[in-house]
Amino acid sequence: MSTAPRGRSEEIAGSQMLTEMVRLRGALQAAALPLDLAGVAALREHRQQVIDQLEDYVIPRLMSLDAPLLTVVGGSTGAGKSTLVNTLVGHRVTAPGVLRPTTRSPVLAHHPDDGKWFGQDRLLPDLKRVSHPTNDHDCIQLVPTDAVPKGVAILDAPDVDSVEERNRLLAGQLLAAADLWLFVTSAARYSDQVPWEYLKQAAERSTSVALVLDRTPPDVVETVSGHLARMMASRGLKDSPLFGVPEGPVTDDGLLPLGHVAEIRGWLEALAADAFARNAIVQQTVGGSIRILTRRVYPIADAAEEQLVAIGDLATLVERQYDIVRKQLLTATTDGTLLRGDLLIRWQEFVGSGELIRSLDAKVGFVRERLVNAIKGKPQQAERVASAIGTGLETLVVEHAEQAAARAAAAWRATPYGAQLVDAAAEDLSRAARDLRRRVDREVQAWQAELQELVRTESGDVRTSARFLAVGVRGLAVTLAVVVLGGDQPPAAAAESLRMGTRLLEAVVGPGAAGMLRYKARESLEDRIRALLAGEANRYVAPADQWQLAPDAGEQLRAAARRVDDLRYAATVQKGSGGHL
Amino acid sequence: MTEPDGESRELRDLATRGTSIGARLEGLERAVSAARGRLDDALLDETEATVERATARLRLSAHHTVVAIAGATGSGKSSTFNALTGLELSSTGVRRPTTSWATACVWGSEGAEEVLDWLGIPPRHQTMRDSMLDTNFDDRALDGVVLMDLPDHDSTEVAHHLEVDRLVELADLLVWVLDPQKYADAALHDRYLAPYATHAGVMLIVLNHIDTIAPDKRQSMVDDVKRLLANDGLGAVKVIPISAREGIGVEELRQEIASRVEQKRSTTARVEADVAAAAGRLDRAGGDAPPRDISPQQARALEERVAEAAGVPTIAAAVERSIRSRAARAVAWPPVALVAGLGRRRQDEQLAGHRADSPPQTVAVQRAAVDNGIRELADEASQGLAAPWADSVRDAAISRLDEIDDALDGGLGTVDLRADRVPGWVALVRVLQWLVFLGAVGGGVWWAVLASQGTLDEAPEVAGFALPPVVLAGGLVLGLLLWLVFRPLVGGTARARGAAADDALREVVSDVLAKQVVAPTNGALASYSAFRSGIAHAQQ
Repeated sequence: MSTAPRGRSEEIAGSQMLTEMVRLRGALQAAALPLDLAGVAALREHRQQVIDQLEDYVIPRLMSLDAPLLTVVGGSTGAGKSTLVNTLVGHRVTAPGVLRPTTRSPVLAHHPDDGKWFGQDRLLPDLKRVSHPTNDHDCIQLVPTDAVPKGVAILDAPDVDSVEERNRLLAGQLLAAADLWLFVTSAARYSDQVPWEYLKQAAERSTSVALVLDRTPPDVVETVSGHLARMMASRGLKDSPLFGVPEGPVTDDGLLPLGHVAEIRGWLEALAADAFARNAIVQQTVGGSIRILTRRVYPIADAAEEQLVAIGDLATLVERQYDIVRKQLLTATTDGTLLRGDLLIRWQEFVGSGELIRSLDAKVGFVRERLVNAIKGKPQQAERVASAIGTGLETLVVEHAEQAAARAAAAWRATPYGAQLVDAAAEDLSRAARDLRRRVDREVQAWQAELQELVRTESGDVRTSARFLAVGVRGLAVTLAVVVLGGDQPPAAAAESLRMGTRLLEAVVGPGAAGMLRYKARESLEDRIRALLAGEANRYVAPADQWQLAPDAGEQLRAAARRVDDLRYAATVQKGSGGHL
Repeated sequence: MTEPDGESRELRDLATRGTSIGARLEGLERAVSAARGRLDDALLDETEATVERATARLRLSAHHTVVAIAGATGSGKSSTFNALTGLELSSTGVRRPTTSWATACVWGSEGAEEVLDWLGIPPRHQTMRDSMLDTNFDDRALDGVVLMDLPDHDSTEVAHHLEVDRLVELADLLVWVLDPQKYADAALHDRYLAPYATHAGVMLIVLNHIDTIAPDKRQSMVDDVKRLLANDGLGAVKVIPISAREGIGVEELRQEIASRVEQKRSTTARVEADVAAAAGRLDRAGGDAPPRDISPQQARALEERVAEAAGVPTIAAAVERSIRSRAARAVAWPPVALVAGLGRRRQDEQLAGHRADSPPQTVAVQRAAVDNGIRELADEASQGLAAPWADSVRDAAISRLDEIDDALDGGLGTVDLRADRVPGWVALVRVLQWLVFLGAVGGGVWWAVLASQGTLDEAPEVAGFALPPVVLAGGLVLGLLLWLVFRPLVGGTARARGAAADDALREVVSDVLAKQVVAPTNGALASYSAFRSGIAHAQQ
């Protein structure tokens, strides 16, 4: 094949453009759009299309500008694509059928000398190269034949409108990789909606298109082609050639009489011979692709930034709800909210019998007190209070966590993109975590154990005193817990018994140490509650962390697109009105 | 939803007398009204529209069957229409799309006006077959047919698609015209065939242009069409290969339509298919978990939890203890009681004024525990329900937690525990004990006075004993006896008081929960039951 007449400056521009395209692809891949923001579905699709377009066409094309002109024969099911390709090639390379949709891998017919251009690493790298017909959609069948002129390759794509979704997707992918579309329609098809949507896309990105009106009875060719030409003109394809292929007898090999396709064949041969015209077609399609790519990139960049903002908003929503609930919970654990019901009664039983206080004043011996306690069951009473504290705290924290989860989930549901995350989450985000009760239980146990340890260490030298021994570590720890939970302004019903608890504490360890104990116990409880709720809130933001959105993805993308635009502009200025690159 | 007014219901009753369709439509209506506010409004509106459409159709001429011929542009709808009518009513041509408006041809015009009016087909696009003076066709077979030629569904003219969408919903029998080029188009299968999988009974598929296929390949093409239809869930639909141009199969198609029309079943079948499809959609959206309500066991379990949270068992035990000690003191020999009482008072003073034996009182409930219990009940009650219903049930149960807690606190606070008053008989025994004790003291004093005066012998005698010592001894013995007799009864009384307090507190709990939790939750569950039963009626 002959090399296109291109200057050195153009080559430099081409290699620069290639670099920028690769960078643009990288920037696009970094700009993921995971959240369902308004209108994001279309942008996601655009992003994928742009990436595909870069990988399947623009980058390979820029890497090998001298490769043959890839002509993709596309169109509707039943419009006669296979017959047309067979006739153009001159023998049967694909099996046309009356049954729809025809399912088989695409066929690429090329001149034997052009084979090097269609290796695995070139065009359409996802599709495996095979040399025999197959029905595998992930393959592409290569047919080297002298019937195809050097410099042109013909690719037979699946239909764009059949019920086979895989066919439609592959057709879209192949058409996106084409230098030139040979779009086939028929008398029954030419006003169908689906093919025209494809043609509209082609017109938008100035892909070179030639239309073939196939399977048309000779007597109506004139009427239909006239109407079709008007439709083309009104839809931005007035410069595209229109070929008519009359309906004719098909040979057993699936070929039409040669004369029926002579016009198309002649046109292709002329293109093959004319390197300049071929290059112009490639330039037009690549240039159009790049123009539409950069134009599509800006909204994607905006969307990537919106995603970041939205994720930030979602995190704020959760944070706000959990803040409110955390505040409520911390208040509830210091204002005597818990000193009700069972806990209050058991505490009053523990502290209120009077014997406890009296025993502090009496100068009684250690052994005797142990005996008395054993008989009267004071330690059991302390145990009962401790278990009531455990239950009370556990239900209080779980209940608040449930409220926080319900509020956070509701706040997310109020946003369209948050609802998606709530629905997609592995666990029910409107509820507290399933193992929360267990974790709270563990924390409350740990807190009570810590209080005992605190009492033991803080009480220092009084540890062997009769008073201390009378109440016991457990009893003091329980008293400390209740005093902390009661806070400074306990409810009236509990005030009396709390005053006694405070007196008890002060009587045993002294007023200073009692204050210190209260402070430390309080801090420890708050820390534990904060940690528990933080774990709960974290369930919401964890998925967003996984996406690892780069904060500057949008800016990078814009910069990449701007560099491409600059290159395009420079090329246009340099070459006058000639080039698109 | 708005209840259908009396007149339309009456008309529907008239139209559906003797059939189950009226009951099925009503079932659908009930399901919609039960689900309103819970399921997606768009779905419910759509279902209501189905009911309205069905009602409207059933009110119209039962004599007429609306047959719609639909298909892609260029598949030959109009040629098929013309072949069936035997007239060139619809324009055919090579320029696509050809047909822009629906055209109708009616065999047997009596009563057809209102049907055509309902279909929205203007008179200029109507043809009355019996208004023409030709009797070439055996038209009796198609008597009562309203045959419509629809525009295409796949051309670049979007207005055509909208007209097709509208009329496809109204036709009693849908005849889809396919052709060898277009029979596998996604535009047809994805939009009009697969979504109508429920309507196989009111559908016919015509494979037109069969003459363009070699005779030996025709059967395999019909089989292929059937394969694609089976993929759409329409395997049961009849496929008739025809060529409107060559006249192949047209008679068979006419016969098929005629037989459907003759059975006069198409209208009902279409409505039934619509109802079944709508019921199916509701069923999928609303879930099919069995209806339930809150069982007495569940309600009791919640009461138990709330009672715990209010400390009811502990309070009851305290009441029992309090009554036991008071009653025991009351029936005891007064000096003993007095000493015990004094001892207690001294302790109390040490406790900075706190009275350890002050009568037990109710305390406020542990709110978190109550809320938790209700939340768990809501979970149980909504388990397995589809999300919208589960939300509604949970909402009914837990939306007023604060009010419930306040009501519990208020209610429990007003309960008289009667912990500081001993029963009447105990009070009586106390008086008796004091009387007897005073009597004994009197006897003792008398004896002492007589003894000091040395006039002991002058004292009256009873059975040979001086009276004063007898009074003293009798008083003491009687006091002891009273104590011995009544002391054992104290335990029972105290237990009874404790149990009474327990009952009174639990009654408050049970009352509040029944009114504020169980009743609203059962209300939401009842709506779900109504929804399920409505769907069951619609699907019968």
